[in-house]
Amino acid sequence: MLFITYRKVLLGIAVAVVLGSGVIIGTLGLNLGIDFTGGSLTEVSYAERPAKEGLSSELDQLGLGGYSLRETLDDEGRDGYILRTRDLTEGERVTVESVVLSAGTESTITRFTSIGPVIGQELKDKALWAIVAVSLIIILYVAFAFSGVSYPVGSWVYGGITILALLHDVIVPTAVMALMGYFLGVEADVLFIMALLAVLGYSVNDTIVVFDRVRENLMKYRQEKKVMVVGTDGMEREEITYTLQKPFAEIVGVSVSQTLMRSINTSVTTLVALTALYFVGGEVTQTFSLVLIVGVLAGTYSSICIANPLLVFIAERKVATEAITK
Amino acid sequence: MSKINLQKKEAGGSEAFIRKFHALGVLVLIAVVGFFVYTNTGTEDAQHPFKLGLDLAGGSHLVYEADVSKIAPAEVADLMNVLRDVIERRVNTFGVSEPIVQVERSSFVSENTVERLVVELPGVTDVATAVAEIGKTPLLEFRLIDQEALQAQSVATVEVDGVSVQAEPAEDLSPFIDTGLTGRYLASAALEFAGGSGGQLSNEPIVSIVFNAEGGDLFETITREHTGESLAIFLDGEMISSPRINEAIAGGRAVISGGFTAEEAKALAQNLNFGALPVPIELASTQTVGASLGEEVLNKGVTAGVVGLGLVILFMMLWYRLPGLVAGISLIGYVAMMLALFKLIPVTLTAAGLAGLVLSLGMAVDANVLVFERMKEEYRNGKNSHQAARDGFARAWSAIRDGNITSLLSAIILFWFGTSIVKGFALVFGLGVVVSMISALLVTRTLLLALPESHITKKTILSKLYNSGVHTK
Repeated sequence: MLFITYRKVLLGIAVAVVLGSGVIIGTLGLNLGIDFTGGSLTEVSYAERPAKEGLSSELDQLGLGGYSLRETLDDEGRDGYILRTRDLTEGERVTVESVVLSAGTESTITRFTSIGPVIGQELKDKALWAIVAVSLIIILYVAFAFSGVSYPVGSWVYGGITILALLHDVIVPTAVMALMGYFLGVEADVLFIMALLAVLGYSVNDTIVVFDRVRENLMKYRQEKKVMVVGTDGMEREEITYTLQKPFAEIVGVSVSQTLMRSINTSVTTLVALTALYFVGGEVTQTFSLVLIVGVLAGTYSSICIANPLLVFIAERKVATEAITK
Repeated sequence: MSKINLQKKEAGGSEAFIRKFHALGVLVLIAVVGFFVYTNTGTEDAQHPFKLGLDLAGGSHLVYEADVSKIAPAEVADLMNVLRDVIERRVNTFGVSEPIVQVERSSFVSENTVERLVVELPGVTDVATAVAEIGKTPLLEFRLIDQEALQAQSVATVEVDGVSVQAEPAEDLSPFIDTGLTGRYLASAALEFAGGSGGQLSNEPIVSIVFNAEGGDLFETITREHTGESLAIFLDGEMISSPRINEAIAGGRAVISGGFTAEEAKALAQNLNFGALPVPIELASTQTVGASLGEEVLNKGVTAGVVGLGLVILFMMLWYRLPGLVAGISLIGYVAMMLALFKLIPVTLTAAGLAGLVLSLGMAVDANVLVFERMKEEYRNGKNSHQAARDGFARAWSAIRDGNITSLLSAIILFWFGTSIVKGFALVFGLGVVVSMISALLVTRTLLLALPESHITKKTILSKLYNSGVHTK
């Protein structure tokens, strides 16, 4: 009940968080990786890392345009560099490779990636389209699944709120990613998109479980009343109206309390698995797991503290406007 | 009275036996699936090995863009398949195990469709050699020479007597006219030595080519309509010879002579046989991962999976006690089934896929959590453990159903839209949804119902093992 009583505070926090995240993303922007922008990444390791200045001055002569050279330490303790440049042609790649290899002893190229700008743009478009399409289908399905309980709020409201909660759950980790990109230079790559997609799946599932309980309790506490009405075509037909035996806010409140342990426990098990991935899963998936950890926390908050308070908020607004029109 | 009671007891006894029998069956099934996964892992000659993606196994991933601007849209799909076959043949000569060559089309989200060819070479980290080998495949074209344009250009350096000449870039003023006859119509090529007739040097190495039926007809038409003109033969955009057409040539045979040495002619014939490219291609992206880096990523991902699995099971047991243990067994069943499916389908495992699997460990117990929470409510309201379990499943079903259907719909859309890497993730995600549902509804349910019955009012250890967690009201 706590969550419904303080709904205005909780919704206020959510709005502030979403707006704040939006501002962060808007001003800092995402530090997009070469998956999206196109470009090349060469990772090289040496027995002993050569001086950065020497390597830089040699690279300067190749006329690659702007590039970044960052020290790395692979897990076997071998020193190396990650070189990021614009996307290289086969000829340029060979030259760059020979330069970085000859800079130190026992040198090996451990990773090379080059992505053309067209492919990068296409990936961006596709990711966006996928998210939009998934959101649409979710609204439709939820509206369909909740069509049995269109009183006091229409079933499409459930779908709409699911998407609002989803927006919150996606925008928060994106803002965290923008912060990490700005302060730590972490790049948003394909794995980041996949983390967002996974957050999307988690968020929807979480919200629907609570709504399912609302649906069940609504059916339990409502009374059907059948009346015969004369339609515009003169035909008499049966119309069913419902009255709730408990206030809507209370029904929603009870539903939240009943599903609270489930929401918390599922997020705990998911967070436990993700924490394992963050600490032992290696560098490649570290950002992925961090984005997901933030997303799961946001998802849990939104299903408890946004979705249901918002449901009550909309229902009350609707009742208020109906009272005015009457 | 006593008789009826006796019958009831017997019926109850045989029912309990059937439940235990079912539970045993489920456990054996998990063991069999687990054994299948175990025996097919780690050994070199496993029948169903895991298929590791390039980022885990090490190797090269090349993306070529095909220039289809000069091809009728209706023909594009066919030609791309021909291109794939040709490249596949070339790649197969590398001796790489299980290379992948596939056509990828940038779908309807971008205005211009781009046709791509994705080449994956596991274990090949020397990308320069690989690119050179693939690129070596020649593009063979036949073009007519417009003599007037040629003279207008007055290029003194061009000799039209069968000597290799640098090709002019195809500009407006180009004296070369595309005939549409290219290497795609080629049936075979062979090294021969000229017999000294027809103005050719005796014993000069030449490459004789045979067109397929369609190409033969086209060749005949061209030679008939342009008798007296010169037909230039281009290899990879370079003119290698431009013999004069003396008469219409039927039968689809032609000869390329260009002052080759025997070695050159032999190589050319071989390359043409391996397949002249039907469409020009250009390398658009390259990814190479060293084998040791891939192995490290794989090991860490597996470690994370094992640690994650252990922690999730531990949490479930601490919170839900006996049902938690059942959920743990069910989760192990989930992992075994997922891994078996990865082997059987087969799903290519990547770092992202592995991370997705670890994530799904936490989400897969969700159905169990939903059921257990409902079960606990019923149990505390005075139902016995079996009835509570049945009601828990029945009541939680609508939430499990709606949650999983939306997840499944999302997975299908992602699979539909995604590029190959997103597709892999969507597949793991979708499989996870279905398999976790099966494991909760089949494994958890069967095992729970096979456990001895208990009631909250019985203050036994067993009854405490059912009543678990924190009470919320």
